[in-house]
Amino acid sequence: MIELIPLIFVILIIIATVGLGVWATKRSKSASDFFVAGRTVGVGMNASAISGEYLSAASFMGVAGLVMRFGYDTLWYPVCYAAGYLFLLLFIAGPLRRFGAYTIPDFAEGRFDSPFFRKIAVIFVLFIGFFYTMPQMRGAGLVMKQIMGWPYWVGLTVVGAVITFNVAIGGMKGITFVQAFQYWVKLFAISIPVFVIMTVFGWYGSRMNDNVQNPGLFPQFKESHTLAVKGTEGAPANVLNATGPSSFTLGGTPQFTVNQPSVLAPGSVEGSTATLHVAPGAINAPTGTAIAAGQSIEPGTAVDVVLPGAIGGTDPVTAKVTLTKEAPSPVTFDLASNVPNAPHNEKWIRPFGDFTSKQGFPLLYTYSLIIGLVCGTAGLPHILVRFYTNPDGRAAKRTTFWVMVLIGVFYMFTPIWGTLGRAIIPNLYANNLTDAVVIDLPRALPSGLLGAILSGITCAGAFAAFMSTFSGLLVSMSGAVAHDIYGRILRPGASAESRLVAFKVASVAIGGISILLGLYVEEFDIAKMVGWAFAIGAASYFPLLLMGSWWRGLTMAGAATGMLAGGLLSVGSIVTVMVIDKNQLQGSLNPLARVLMEQPAIWAVPLSLILMYVISKMTAATVPADIDLKMLRLHAPEEMGLSKNYIEH
Amino acid sequence: MDPRLEHDIHSHPGHQRRLAQAVMRRQVSLSLKVAAVFLFMLLGLPLVNYFLPELANAPFLGFTATWFFLAVLFYPITWFLSWWFIRQSNDIEADIAANMRHENATPLHNKAEGEARH
Repeated sequence: MIELIPLIFVILIIIATVGLGVWATKRSKSASDFFVAGRTVGVGMNASAISGEYLSAASFMGVAGLVMRFGYDTLWYPVCYAAGYLFLLLFIAGPLRRFGAYTIPDFAEGRFDSPFFRKIAVIFVLFIGFFYTMPQMRGAGLVMKQIMGWPYWVGLTVVGAVITFNVAIGGMKGITFVQAFQYWVKLFAISIPVFVIMTVFGWYGSRMNDNVQNPGLFPQFKESHTLAVKGTEGAPANVLNATGPSSFTLGGTPQFTVNQPSVLAPGSVEGSTATLHVAPGAINAPTGTAIAAGQSIEPGTAVDVVLPGAIGGTDPVTAKVTLTKEAPSPVTFDLASNVPNAPHNEKWIRPFGDFTSKQGFPLLYTYSLIIGLVCGTAGLPHILVRFYTNPDGRAAKRTTFWVMVLIGVFYMFTPIWGTLGRAIIPNLYANNLTDAVVIDLPRALPSGLLGAILSGITCAGAFAAFMSTFSGLLVSMSGAVAHDIYGRILRPGASAESRLVAFKVASVAIGGISILLGLYVEEFDIAKMVGWAFAIGAASYFPLLLMGSWWRGLTMAGAATGMLAGGLLSVGSIVTVMVIDKNQLQGSLNPLARVLMEQPAIWAVPLSLILMYVISKMTAATVPADIDLKMLRLHAPEEMGLSKNYIEH
Repeated sequence: MDPRLEHDIHSHPGHQRRLAQAVMRRQVSLSLKVAAVFLFMLLGLPLVNYFLPELANAPFLGFTATWFFLAVLFYPITWFLSWWFIRQSNDIEADIAANMRHENATPLHNKAEGEARH
């Protein structure tokens, strides 16, 4: 019975979402309500809705998981997700709102009088949108798998279909209410359970202090723990990075083969030291015998990992053991054995740990990450469209302020989950399941019922997260299709009613494609996929909006070249890194090149800006004739009435 | 909008340009001021972490100083910057709007034509 509680919460949140959508639809009348909610939404409602839309599966599950796994380095994610809004407020929100263009394609066309540029911009809306929906879909499939044991594709299809239905009937007006509601669900789900957990397991500061006081220690298993080591296809989960001395017993029936016992330590080359020692009493091997690569170990063998550098010292010594085996089978770790795949306390709590230092160049990696996240936030199309749901410019600014407060409060809680997860359920490190920390942590409570209820609440929060973000993406992508591809390219002058039909058809089609894409990315990492969307936005839309708003000399040729070069080169380099990581492409990269390709913002954003400047100077004759009037529209206070309303009612 | 102002703005590109530049200059100087404070914090912190690790990792309320700054303090600081920017920005816009109305009271086209004759 208790196991069903999380499912009940998930069903409740789905019913509430659909019900609110249906209720709100009755109030949604005109075509412009569908696209921008008719600009009638109040500041509090709109700020909640923007925050609800922004906080995705990556924020709700991914950030807490990343902080648990890597520590300090990944604090930049929540900070920059929140702080990116300040950049948006300072340089982009005001001019765009005054200009009266409510999508990036509107801006692209209106600023350069170029229907051609509009088409390029529309393609980018769909491009970024699909990259950003894939991790949401994966989050949906993963949670259902985790709490219900459903196959990945079932959870994904159910969630995708529910959201698509909701958007198709309600449009923007419907989802404004739904998303505002979902923000408060998410805030409740990320905050209340963690307070309850802290009253039992200790407060944030004292749990952090454990790490500060014992820099050399590793997280240890709280009890004897059996870990399912996956078969050969489950890589990399079948790699045990023993980060300190530890003991485990191999179970199951088939034999294990140790592929590469090796020590990764300062000054030592991988593979130079054998590190796996079969424990006293083990079958087939005397005490202390080192196991060589390729040697078989019988099931039931107790294995001690002995790391010379780690005994009595704090050296970060890691043994990497790849166990190859055809079928999944259990490996049982002894009580108080160090958890594999976990960094030690000092490395976790200090800046420049594994996340940024793996290739060397930790400062470069950190800066590129910061630039990509901050500029990417300012360039996400589904966020920008929301600034037009305010009645006027002053309200738009107040809304932005409240959004920063609402998402900031939310993000403050995410590292608490990571910190407590590290202290209480470190077993998640062992099979790389730290993404599930918000779902699993409440279950560690002594009371099974309370744990199930709190876990149900966080499951509902996770559902609210991917439902609201996916809805927002679906609206902005369907809007682009109905408004731009149908209403301007395929059938110019189509009536508002037929564009409404196009919107509904487009949302169903795009929802279907998103589900298919979600099926394709089961093995990909949520945080990395979101990184793709941010990197494309940072190197394409951000330069376009920044230069387009503030430099009168920008020409269409310059803007298009910069946007395409920056966006496409970032996508290309990230995809290359992913393909290499998946071993689908042979070859290794120079460490510096790898850092620059994995985090391309540090070169792609300046490249895009420079190209825009240079090409615009070369084509200066094509600056629109009424550029000064356009600049006035972008910057003169709204009460002067210079804005042009691009929305046709 | 006032039809006379609209006529002036549409028929005097030189005036438009001066006006746009004046308005943008005031807006951008405010934005850059706030951005400078923000970027100083955001881009300065990794340097402190890298070059002054003792300071960054000093224990503070159970946390390290740099963890506390980034994971807790950073958010309220950005809220304050945002609040301050919005206040200043609204003042600037009200001021610009008042100036434009004031200029409009002494007909713009006479002034612009007078300048053109010189």
